[in-house]
Amino acid sequence: MRTNSTTKLRNADVQTKRFGLGMITPTVIVLLVMTAYPLVFTLFYSFTDYNLLRNLRQPAEFIALKNYTDLLTDPYFQQSIWNTVKFTILAVIFEMIIGFAMALFVNCLKRGQKTMRTLLLLPYLLPTVTVALSWRMMLSPNYGIVNQVLTALGLPVFNWFSDIHTAFGMLVLIDVWQSAPFVFLLLYAALQSVPQGQYEAARIDGAGRIKILFYVTIPNIKNSLALCALLRTIDSFRLFDKVNLLTGGGPANSTSTITQYLYNYGISSLDFGFGSAGAVVMTILVLILSSVYIKRAIQ
Amino acid sequence: MKKLLATALALTMALSMTACGGGNNQSSGDGGSEGGTTELSLILRAGTYADVIKECLPAFEEEHNVTCTVQELSESDLYSGIALDAINAEGSYDLCMVDGSWMAEFTENGVLANLSDLGYSLDDDIIPATTSICYVDDDVYLAPYYGNVTVLMFNKANVEAAGYSADTIQSLDDILKICQQAKADGKNGFIYRGDGQNNLVVDFLPILLSYGGWVVDDNNQPTVDTQEFKDAMNYYLELIATGQAQVKDDLIASVDSGSGTMGIGWPGWYTPTADSPADYIALNGAATAGGETHNANVYGIWAIGVPANSQNQELAVELLSYLMDADVQKSTVASGGVPCRYSSLQDPEVLETYPQYEVVCQALESGVYRPVIAEWTQFYTTLGTEMDNIINGMKTVDQGLADAQAQLEELMAG
Repeated sequence: MRTNSTTKLRNADVQTKRFGLGMITPTVIVLLVMTAYPLVFTLFYSFTDYNLLRNLRQPAEFIALKNYTDLLTDPYFQQSIWNTVKFTILAVIFEMIIGFAMALFVNCLKRGQKTMRTLLLLPYLLPTVTVALSWRMMLSPNYGIVNQVLTALGLPVFNWFSDIHTAFGMLVLIDVWQSAPFVFLLLYAALQSVPQGQYEAARIDGAGRIKILFYVTIPNIKNSLALCALLRTIDSFRLFDKVNLLTGGGPANSTSTITQYLYNYGISSLDFGFGSAGAVVMTILVLILSSVYIKRAIQ
Repeated sequence: MKKLLATALALTMALSMTACGGGNNQSSGDGGSEGGTTELSLILRAGTYADVIKECLPAFEEEHNVTCTVQELSESDLYSGIALDAINAEGSYDLCMVDGSWMAEFTENGVLANLSDLGYSLDDDIIPATTSICYVDDDVYLAPYYGNVTVLMFNKANVEAAGYSADTIQSLDDILKICQQAKADGKNGFIYRGDGQNNLVVDFLPILLSYGGWVVDDNNQPTVDTQEFKDAMNYYLELIATGQAQVKDDLIASVDSGSGTMGIGWPGWYTPTADSPADYIALNGAATAGGETHNANVYGIWAIGVPANSQNQELAVELLSYLMDADVQKSTVASGGVPCRYSSLQDPEVLETYPQYEVVCQALESGVYRPVIAEWTQFYTTLGTEMDNIINGMKTVDQGLADAQAQLEELMAG
């Protein structure tokens, strides 16, 4: 009798496991095809001299770590890493501060929250190409409105994207302008979920606005803040389209990010082996940057 | 119940995968035919270059009962579009537009079809110098379609204010004096394209040629650390100090409005008329007045060819022959076409309406192609990067050119 019920239990257990496996199989297959295969493929080609066109007449050869040594010893790649890190830090800091300020402002509005929310979100909804070209027109040294206003005010004008002193700052400004609304949206949603009772209790205890911000608001939305920072860090680190459209990495490599470097030296010349090595290095750097959050998420 | 669900799930997955894999079953054995009409796919450089071809297509389509689809791309996208399609056994494109500087890489790797084998040959009406890169061992692989060649674009009023006219600009020294005068008058002198290594290099090449220098020698070995190159670079630094870097659209607007005085341009950018504020001339290739003259106009000719993996090669060659026909080419002039043909560029009727074609013809007769080497993309990226460093004061001329030479030697050594 006992053996029978034990067997039944075991069968049920096996069936449950099988069912579980059946349910996750599609996801695993999709992940393997869409994520693991390209990763392995990229890693494999990073050890070869694979060039798309040259490969038509002679197959790629295994060159061990040559792509990696070439990449890491290239001063322009090192400069690109530094530019990318600098850009990421500045953009994320400004986007977090401005996005958070926008969220606090809209959250405390008693009227017009929906309208304000929609208006503030508009830059994020625009395609990056549109954003880049609009800013290029606004900052044009010929017909750009910015220089016209500065001239009218008697202030010095700049050739914004071609001047080594201003090009990098302009890219940060444009990215912050477009992406701060993303931070705003996430943090605004998080602010909606902060229990109102905590605010009331804090006010009864005599806490001021600053104390409420630091002891009630921020602790309640810290996970959203961390998530925002992580997402923006990863996104900023992969910056390509704005750089490619507005400066092409110049002047004098001052705006060249890792992706722009890889485009110039790997993709545009169809040297996919070299480009793959750069992609692997970049993936490792992004993983290092986001490791704190990933570690926390796993725990 | 669970078993049923799992079976249903597996069945759905199998069906989905079958459906996904079955999407491309339309055989190209019919040559892309649809209802008896063959489809030809063209991949072209966006802008006037593609526009003039598009306006010629309806007549060909009607005559041959074909439908032509055109994909218009930027220069870099066009290059990668053709290259990415070249790895397929059955190509998607039947006619492609090719920059002369890609020729070596494309023919070395079998990207382009041998047009001679397909019965096509270039006629004598085509300006001979423009065909120099179209051949490999006497076989034709490309036909020069759009005669882009560097010209010196200038603002007439600013040039006159400096005491010059189009006819009296005889040397690079004259250009410098005009630009310095414009700068002294509170305007920009020389405008150059500072966005991207390719533009930096191409804008500089006419200056380098005027100094008797070039980027490679007869054996295609880099020659960027030479005295001629240094002299040209030093002159260029002095020249661009009178103006600023701008993107193409800004350069044209600057010269047209007079806020800028001069820049290296292409005929496809601007159509001057008797009343227009800007005009262009071909550089005569002398660094100093009375000095030695060189061929200093650099080709940016857009040629057309047929991909080796085209599924409709014979029809594509018919289309190419039609587009290269002297009368068809002359008909494109009104829309901004610049044929590489004497019959178009020296036609009295054409010159009456478009006198600038005389200048274009001169420039095309004495133009220079960028080096026909498979490594040209990496070459200009490296050289442009070092030139950018020099221009922005990050390196001296000597240091920048020495670094460029070392990197290029390594590149060319393989």
